[in-house]
Amino acid sequence: MSEHDSKGDPIKPAGRVRQSGTVRVMGEEDILRARQQARGVAEEIGFSSTDVTRIVTAVSELARNIHLYADDGIMEWREIESGGRTGLELVFDDDGPGIDDVEGVLRGEHSTSDGMGRGIHGTRKLMDEFDLTSTSEDGTTITVRKWR
Amino acid sequence: MSATQTAAVTQVYDVLIATFPGRPTDGAVDELQQDVLSLMEEIEPRGVVLDVSAVTTLDSFFARVISETASMVELLGGDAIVVGMRPSVAITAAELGFGLDSVETARSTDHALSMLGVRVDDEESATAAADNDTAATQSAAADSGSESSPSPGGGR
Repeated sequence: MSEHDSKGDPIKPAGRVRQSGTVRVMGEEDILRARQQARGVAEEIGFSSTDVTRIVTAVSELARNIHLYADDGIMEWREIESGGRTGLELVFDDDGPGIDDVEGVLRGEHSTSDGMGRGIHGTRKLMDEFDLTSTSEDGTTITVRKWR
Repeated sequence: MSATQTAAVTQVYDVLIATFPGRPTDGAVDELQQDVLSLMEEIEPRGVVLDVSAVTTLDSFFARVISETASMVELLGGDAIVVGMRPSVAITAAELGFGLDSVETARSTDHALSMLGVRVDDEESATAAADNDTAATQSAAADSGSESSPSPGGGR
């Protein structure tokens, strides 16, 4: 729980995983499926309706990024528990071309004509924890968490 | 499930009311934009009310289409007003920093109609005269109003 060695936003390992699931994201309708599944879990965990909206909006942004830029990827969700708190962890993983200007994207400066950069930057504000790793070899992995 | 996919455009007086579905695909959102624009050309209404009261998730794509639709309506000589945004959606949109600043908004469909210059002199004649479309719109707005104020923490 004390490792802070990664660049950018260090994200501590999750606590105990209570339940988890995976949604494959390829087509546009998978964005809706990912959202629906995240909404169900978030409501079950007992998030407030505003937090549910924040979570589902973040899922929509990040799943759409997979659909648009990597064609194929997955969203993994985990209900996690740490220090008496319950939370939701979402991992968006793809083997796409990666993001050129990660720092710019995180600062919200890099924005393509379709507003991609703003989506990731905004998503960071909606969630409590955020981590992004991206290389041209391994694609992009974005991990976000929200605590109740 | 079809209700979550389809969008509807109806006419009240000389105003179009476009109701966005709660969980539309990107394609359905694009289609609604097309429908609004072709009806703008056909009917030449004085304005369009964009009803988002069923919308539970407004991401950057959806927000962009709404603000684009509003500017296109204005280019075609009408006024566009967004109505019925849920509080949780408004909070999230503000946090995400969507470019909805330029979009005109109203509290209710009634309010939007009066902003668009639709005048109904007294309430009784309004109810009598418009028992179809307007009444239906009013009750829809009322329903969404009560839905949009859930108890805090009431996840289920």
